[in-house]
Amino acid sequence: MSRGTAERVVPTPLVAASRQRRFVSGDRVFRVIAYGAAGLIMLIAAIFIIALVVPALPAITKFGLGFFTSRTWDPVRNQFGALAPIYGTVVTSAIALVIAFPIGLGAALFLAEDARLQLLRGPLSFLIELLAGIPSVVIGLWAFFTLVPLMRDKVDPFLSHILGFLPLFRGTASGYGFLTAGLVLGIMVLPIMIALSRDVIRAVPRELREASLALGATNAETTWSVILPYARVGITGAILLSLGRALGETIAVTMVIGNTMQISTSLFATGYTLPSVIANEFTEANGNLYLGSLFYLGVVLVLITIVVNVLARLLIWRFSGSARAAV
Amino acid sequence: MKRVLVALSMGASVLLAACGGSSVSTNPSTGAPVTSAPVPPPAALQGTGATFPAPFYDAARFAYNQKYSQVTVNYNPLGSGAGISALTKKVVDFGASDVPMNATELTAAGGADAIVQIASTLGTVSLAYNLSGVSNGQLKLTPKTIAGIFLGTIKNWNDPALAADNSGVSLPNQAITAVHRSDGSGTTYIFTDYMSTVSADWKSKIGKGKSVSWTPGQPGAKGNEAVATTVKQTPGAIGYVEVAYVLQTNMTQASLQNHDGKFVIPSPEGATAAASQYLAINPSQFSIVDAPGPTSAPISGYSWLMLYKDQSDKTKGTALVDYLDWLVTDGQQYAVNVHYAKLPANIVKDDIISLKTVTSGGSTLLNVPAPS
Repeated sequence: MSRGTAERVVPTPLVAASRQRRFVSGDRVFRVIAYGAAGLIMLIAAIFIIALVVPALPAITKFGLGFFTSRTWDPVRNQFGALAPIYGTVVTSAIALVIAFPIGLGAALFLAEDARLQLLRGPLSFLIELLAGIPSVVIGLWAFFTLVPLMRDKVDPFLSHILGFLPLFRGTASGYGFLTAGLVLGIMVLPIMIALSRDVIRAVPRELREASLALGATNAETTWSVILPYARVGITGAILLSLGRALGETIAVTMVIGNTMQISTSLFATGYTLPSVIANEFTEANGNLYLGSLFYLGVVLVLITIVVNVLARLLIWRFSGSARAAV
Repeated sequence: MKRVLVALSMGASVLLAACGGSSVSTNPSTGAPVTSAPVPPPAALQGTGATFPAPFYDAARFAYNQKYSQVTVNYNPLGSGAGISALTKKVVDFGASDVPMNATELTAAGGADAIVQIASTLGTVSLAYNLSGVSNGQLKLTPKTIAGIFLGTIKNWNDPALAADNSGVSLPNQAITAVHRSDGSGTTYIFTDYMSTVSADWKSKIGKGKSVSWTPGQPGAKGNEAVATTVKQTPGAIGYVEVAYVLQTNMTQASLQNHDGKFVIPSPEGATAAASQYLAINPSQFSIVDAPGPTSAPISGYSWLMLYKDQSDKTKGTALVDYLDWLVTDGQQYAVNVHYAKLPANIVKDDIISLKTVTSGGSTLLNVPAPS
């Protein structure tokens, strides 16, 4: 067709050799780039840890491990402890998962499995991706102006009416607090939960599904005893990523949690989370100990994330007992 | 090319400094000397710091650029702490803070003699509330009842202590939600400074600071706007807010009992009245809360600007002191527009005297006559 192909038919040995040399050097360049990228990630992580720990040193040396068990946070008297925000972070993230896990898994199963409503799938997937793209400050504003009054006037009184025998749902509801913050976080992690679970469920081999149905299992039985066990590792991964997002979310939580240093069994009570304290107090913090304590909170947040990840990996490893465990 | 431009602009600035620097002329009709602000050389000035006076600084720098297009002033409201540390690291030309730099901070910046601090504007704090049927200024609060509300000893609007000061007002049987600023802020500093001054109980339990340890259970909100909105949408709520936000959003605010025992509705004029009671303020003695005088707004305070006394860049340094000189004199009109208070005359005088100590290579940069 062209002169080019005709010419390429008989490469001289010299040309072939040079081409081979080019391949070799291309390989080397690629390897250097790949190693460099991997090394850079490690370098960035190391710099990040150093940049977090070094400014925290004044607080780490002063308060030590007592920082984790002290409830006092008093900038006037330079006494700092992280127990209240640790509690708030854990509680709000737990509420978020309790809300997002069943809804997310259900939506994922619908999107991946149910073939009857094909037409709905496209728009629904699109909406989920749209939800993932909304900036957290916008969700926070919506929650601040709409969700808070709704929780105060309708949801909290309703919950306290039917579940008031539990200490969790007692006390006066201002609309701000753990429950509202957890709900907002739940909404924010839903897209991650749905999208990841959906992909994992779709990846279950068709043969397994068909084999189960051929043996006479119903759709529900197939989902329950074949698909979900197979996808368990991936779904745990989805939960972990959602949890990571929930633990670190800052601005939307700050707008609705009430920003109070207290530990309360009531979910209607106001509280604080680790990122919220940092966001609130960082700009005007003066003195090495005060700033150091805020950095120490950052260290605590990183530690919580690491602990959660390790626990989850152990859990997966226990369940699946195979090399597949590494998510 | 770039170098040529720089050289040209430097030349132009020298020319401007040479011919535009004069500041005293004679008024043709009266023959009296008239001072006019010196024309600044071209420069781009960078500042960062307090959020509390940011609306005023924004209005002022825009107006200055309209007047002198060769000078651009950027202001980044990252917070007072950021303002002080950015100035100390010399990454900005001026820093802003609601509380002047203290001894430790001054040492870090090279000693008290290395820094010039001037008061730039005045603000006052209001207590805004959300009570149906109680109109603006109708609720009367004394230092004792404010302390009670925020310390959590007065929990309900029909508390006898509140009723005693508010005869004729029907206060509802409703729980009080006391809202505070969750972020570190100058507004919180002024409020807690006042409370510590008027209440021994407050001083021992909470103290004063830009962030303090609040009574558990009371919600905090980030920024003046969020406190204002939280009060607006929570029936029975009360919160302390910079007066500008109250006036701009038409919220209902309480009459506060001042040092003379008079009840006043906080206003920028009240802040100026309070400030004029203290003839001598300086960066280590700057509190003007609980001021005497019948019209003084009790919870008032200054905001500050800081710069290095020795400016390495003469052109930039000249533009900086010219701008700040304008800011504390003619620029004060822009404070009034955004509901901040004008500086009293004695403070403007102190500011100009301070600005005249700024030098570059040993020579004074601000070419205006010393105020008498």
